[in-house]
Amino acid sequence: MRKTITLGMVVGGIVLMLIGYLAAAPWGADTVANSDPSFGFAPALFVLGVIVAFSAALVYELMPDRPER
Amino acid sequence: MATQTNTQTSMLPQGVGRLTTTWKLAMAGSFLLFAVGVFAFVRELSTGMIETGMRNVGTMGGASWGLYITMVVYFIGVSFAGITIAALIRLFNLRHLRPIARFAELLTVVALILGALAIIVDLGQPLRGVVNLFRYARPQSPFFGTFSLVIAGYLVASLIYLYLGGRRDAAIMAQYPSRLQRFHRWWAAGYRDTPEERDRHRQTSFWLAVTIIPLLVIAHSTLGFVFGLQVGRPGWYGTLQAPAFVALAGVSGIGAIIIVGAVVRRIVHDKSRIDLDVFAALGKFLLAFLLVYLYFMSVELLTLLYATPEVEKQLSDALLLGEYAWIYWGSVALLVIPGLGLLWQAFKRRWNVGWLVAFGIAVNLAAIGKRYLIVVPSQTHGTLLPYEVGSYSPSWVEYGVVLGLLGLGALMIGTFVKVFPPIPLREDEEVMVDA
Amino acid sequence: MAKYAMVVDLNRCQGCRACTEACKIENNTGQSMFWMHVFRFEDGEFPDTRMSFLPRPCQHCDNAPCVKVCPTGARFKREDGLVLTDPDRCIGCRYCELACPYGVNYFNWQTPEASQYSDVIDWDDPDIQSATGGLSPPYRNPDLDEEWGSERRRTAGGNHDKGVMEKCTFCVQRVEQGNLPACVDTCPVTALRFGDVSDAESPVSQFIRENETWHLLEEAGTEPSVFYVGGKPPSHSYKEVERPKARV
Repeated sequence: MRKTITLGMVVGGIVLMLIGYLAAAPWGADTVANSDPSFGFAPALFVLGVIVAFSAALVYELMPDRPER
Repeated sequence: MATQTNTQTSMLPQGVGRLTTTWKLAMAGSFLLFAVGVFAFVRELSTGMIETGMRNVGTMGGASWGLYITMVVYFIGVSFAGITIAALIRLFNLRHLRPIARFAELLTVVALILGALAIIVDLGQPLRGVVNLFRYARPQSPFFGTFSLVIAGYLVASLIYLYLGGRRDAAIMAQYPSRLQRFHRWWAAGYRDTPEERDRHRQTSFWLAVTIIPLLVIAHSTLGFVFGLQVGRPGWYGTLQAPAFVALAGVSGIGAIIIVGAVVRRIVHDKSRIDLDVFAALGKFLLAFLLVYLYFMSVELLTLLYATPEVEKQLSDALLLGEYAWIYWGSVALLVIPGLGLLWQAFKRRWNVGWLVAFGIAVNLAAIGKRYLIVVPSQTHGTLLPYEVGSYSPSWVEYGVVLGLLGLGALMIGTFVKVFPPIPLREDEEVMVDA
Repeated sequence: MAKYAMVVDLNRCQGCRACTEACKIENNTGQSMFWMHVFRFEDGEFPDTRMSFLPRPCQHCDNAPCVKVCPTGARFKREDGLVLTDPDRCIGCRYCELACPYGVNYFNWQTPEASQYSDVIDWDDPDIQSATGGLSPPYRNPDLDEEWGSERRRTAGGNHDKGVMEKCTFCVQRVEQGNLPACVDTCPVTALRFGDVSDAESPVSQFIRENETWHLLEEAGTEPSVFYVGGKPPSHSYKEVERPKARV
């Protein structure tokens, strides 16, 4: 469970980074009129991805052994 | 009740929670600096950047990046060494260096925050900058690396590293009744020092170290790229920029760790906690980075002197003989003399903390000087079109803001050492009671 | 799609700086900002000195270093070749200025005046009225705050906001309405030409074909949209004389 969530966060973070990066970097866009990210705040998504990936370490260590109910 | 709490606080190790007069004076001084910085920045915000010494390159004969960008590069450079050393300690299990791991990480966090703030004060539209970078930032711009990797990734990673590394000590501290108990309990977050938890921490710190070291080489290289990818300015375009940035970052960062280390050693009133071996190791690290950087510098100088295009010659003349010569040769002296001193100490195997601190201060001044020489002269001298030679000198507002940033840094470090032990507690000294 | 370019005929330029003046009035630029700057160079040792002139607008590069480095996309290149600045998006980092080898960017160091020249010039003066054909101020300046181009960005004119970068726009507001940039329109000796180079039959294309052209700082690889005819690239033995007022 702990390992699954941690791994999920790392992978999820990397996916977010990739999406954010590709959306923010329309390659070759320097020559056309608009070089905006494909959707608003795509760079924020990249940064969020970095943060999520590193926060996986927090989850891995801080997750209680047995979830209290 | 209050007196009781006070007496109990005095039991906390390493002077945590005990506010001495020296500390109060130092903090008051730092706060004063910070206030000066805030005043200067408010002035800059309200009137505009006309308050700074910066002007446009070209017909206006100024420099458009000045002391602020110099300090951005310097602060981010300082941040390099702290987390590198902390990661190396965990990766290669350098037990004797463990005492410096925490304040090295702290230095990284503080330096990164100061670097980010120095970028903000340099923007013409600071508030818009904070929003628009998240909204529109383009990976094609070398700034993207500075903003996403250095500030976001690197700062978050360092904070997590600092936080997780401190949990065990926080749990120990939380056993002492004090005004800080609640804070320590929050930091410990239920840590009980079970074998599983220790194991887990070993794993995470290993993997964090493994990911952080390449991340920070990349991050510092992107900072070098901010300059190294530009053909438009003489002296900037070059493959050596990125590695030289990393090397000088190591020099200034380790110098800063030595300084902070000596201060922490005084604060905790226990010299055995950071013994001479630690300083010797730091001295050797510093020497290694210094030699690498001096090598890069010599290569750069030789290239410049041997085959110099016209505009580069204008620039190198200004650097080596002209109006920037005193900064250039001063910085070189502040790098070479500590280098020789370190060599001597390494050769004699006799390390002296006083000298090391002096060398640390010297190389940091040199690092600021060298960063200044990368940023400024390429704008005032050797412009590709034959504009007149420009000039730049920082205004009081810029000096004020920079002093304010340094004051803020001192405030942050000073506060930290009084709420948390700056040196990891020895494993044998406080035993965890299973709660 | 049109592709705009400017040709500077150095055989004709007299260094009168009428273009500079026209630009400042049209675009309402602040003091000591010269979107169009004319170098007046002196070369050689007295008495064997030679004067030469070099108008320097923004080069509107096809491979624009300023566009590449802009962290927010405030500096962008349009399909018709114009390199423009969006003052609503610019965060004032001044990276474009340092990436540019030509030194054409000007930063608003202080809060700009709404109308830079209305206090200095008495537009109701009959002499000025007769010269401007009754239009006062003579151009629509400073009312250029419209959204231009397919991007709908507020890119024309100067003096937008404190703390943002601005530079020559090839007078996008005039070009979009089929007029010439103010500097080209004003030049008394037609040293400046402007037009669509994607149309091989346009006068400017023909002029480029018939004359030997060169670019400023070709070695920087910026692929400028400004062509120079006659004269020669400035060397570093040139000394600039009669600099405009240097500082704000």
